[in-house]
Formats: sequence, C-alpha cells, structure tokens
Amino acid sequence: MGTLAAVLGTCCVAPWAVGLVGVSGAVTLARLARWQPWFLIVAAVMLAMAFYWAYRPAPVCADGSCETTSRRRLRWFVWIAALVVAALGVAALNPLLLYHIH
Amino acid sequence: MLRAIVSLFVVSLALGATACSAAQTDHASAGSAKVIVLDDNASQLRDDFNRAKGSVRLLLIVDPICPTCLRGLADVDASLLSKTHDTRVQTFVVHMPVIGAKATDVSPAAELLHNPNVHNYWNASGNFGRLAGNALQLRQGDKTVYAWDVWIVYGPDAVWQSGPPTPDLLMHQLPTLPAKQFLDADAFAAKAQALLNHLPARAKAN
Repeated sequence: MGTLAAVLGTCCVAPWAVGLVGVSGAVTLARLARWQPWFLIVAAVMLAMAFYWAYRPAPVCADGSCETTSRRRLRWFVWIAALVVAALGVAALNPLLLYHIH
Repeated sequence: MLRAIVSLFVVSLALGATACSAAQTDHASAGSAKVIVLDDNASQLRDDFNRAKGSVRLLLIVDPICPTCLRGLADVDASLLSKTHDTRVQTFVVHMPVIGAKATDVSPAAELLHNPNVHNYWNASGNFGRLAGNALQLRQGDKTVYAWDVWIVYGPDAVWQSGPPTPDLLMHQLPTLPAKQFLDADAFAAKAQALLNHLPARAKAN
C-alpha cells in the first residue's frame, strides 16, 4: 500500500516527468495536475493504512499456532514510501522548490 | 503480504520501464523539427517576426521539459494550430532552459505542434525571458516577472524593435501573474482567428 501511495503521489508537474514518461506522458500528467490534491489525500490515507498494517499488534495465540512473520521489511517499505510521498507533496504544493528561475 | 508487496513493486517497475521506453521513443522519433539557436538579442527572431508582418503571429515562450508548458503547447495545437495551416498565421516558439532543459529537449516538444508555419528557437542562456519580461512589462508589484510559460497573439501590424511589441492578447500559466490571464486555449485560438478573419486572403502561389 505504501508503494501504491508513492505511485499515486507521483502525479505532479516536476521537470523530470519528461525524462520519465516522455513528452506525451508529461502532457497527460500536467492535465492530471488539478487532481493532485486528491491524489495526495488518497496517498496519505493509503499510507495510514499501510502504517497500521505494518505496526498493528501481532496476533497472539495461546497454542502458538499463529503465524509470526517479521514485518521489518514491510516497515522499511512503508517508511520509504512515506518519505517519497512527503517529498512529492512538498514539491507539489510549492513547485518553486523544484527549480531556480533566473 | 510480502508477495503482494513484491508483486506491486514489480508492476511499478514494469510500468516505469514502459514509461521510460516511451520517453526514449519520444526522443528517438523526434529530431525532425528545425531549431534556430537564438542569441541574447533575439535578432533572428526579430527578423523573422518582422518579415511576417501582415500575418497573425503567435509568440510562445516555454521550457521544453516543463509539463505545464507542454500541456499548453498541446492545447494550443488542438484548439488552433492543427486545425489551420493558413500561412497568414505564423508561430514563433522560444524554448529556454528555465527548469533545466537542454537543446536536445526542444525537438520532442516541438513535435507537439502539427503545423508547418511554426518556427522554433532555442535560447541557451535564458536571457530572452528577461528581455521579454521587460519589454512586455510583466510585473508582480514593482518586480519584473521573468517571461516564460507565456502565450501571445499579435496582429498583422506589430513590429518588433528592441523587444517583443505590445501584444493583442497575452496569456500565461504563471502563479505570479493575474489569474484572469491564465491560458485558455480556446480563447487564445478565438483571438487569433478573429484577427485572421480581418486579414485579406493571400493570392495563391502559381
């Protein structure tokens, strides 16, 4: 969910969009830009769900039959996604941070 | 759970790879647009602009890797340039490295305009933005605004002297200029068409 949140948060008007998705893709992204706040909200909600899933209390079974898997990698993914979405959110809300105009 | 995450990651990578190949296709198929390197006085643009006196002229100032600028080019193409190849409409597009574009980025962006009467220029220093901002008197308070992501229509009588002349219509996609002038491609096309309707038809070439 954290990965999907980061992907959703990538709708932006960043200059690297052309290098990533080409001119046509950048035009499409720019047309989606007005939905950007909604994408960021959905990304934040999905991140919250991802954090809950990563940190929810582990089930405890008296007879030890519950599966105990490590969530360490999941938590790494979630934090990385959170940082990416946060960075994209800051950049989206203030595009001038992305570049210096003459 | 981990399998789902890995699957999602692989899908994201596949999407990214597809997007990157699309980007490379954009670059590979581009390169057919002629681009003139512009000096800081924009002398070539001035000469071409004045040579086209008597026509409706469009001046578009963009960064070829700015997605918003690219959207503007696509919208103006859809609303006007792809629909009319009338030689009485001449378009001058100045590309500048405002947010880091390179000369190789110009051709892919130029491909967005499907019109034979488009002239593309590359101003590597970006000084044209200052020249135009001063000449067009773009202001935010008492501060001159650097001219980029600006979309201008000129009538047939406009003459370029030391800088872009006073426009018949100026639109932009900048947060620092008045919102009422924000680019509306349909209104932009309507203004150009209105000016074109007042021009005499050119005699057909023999």
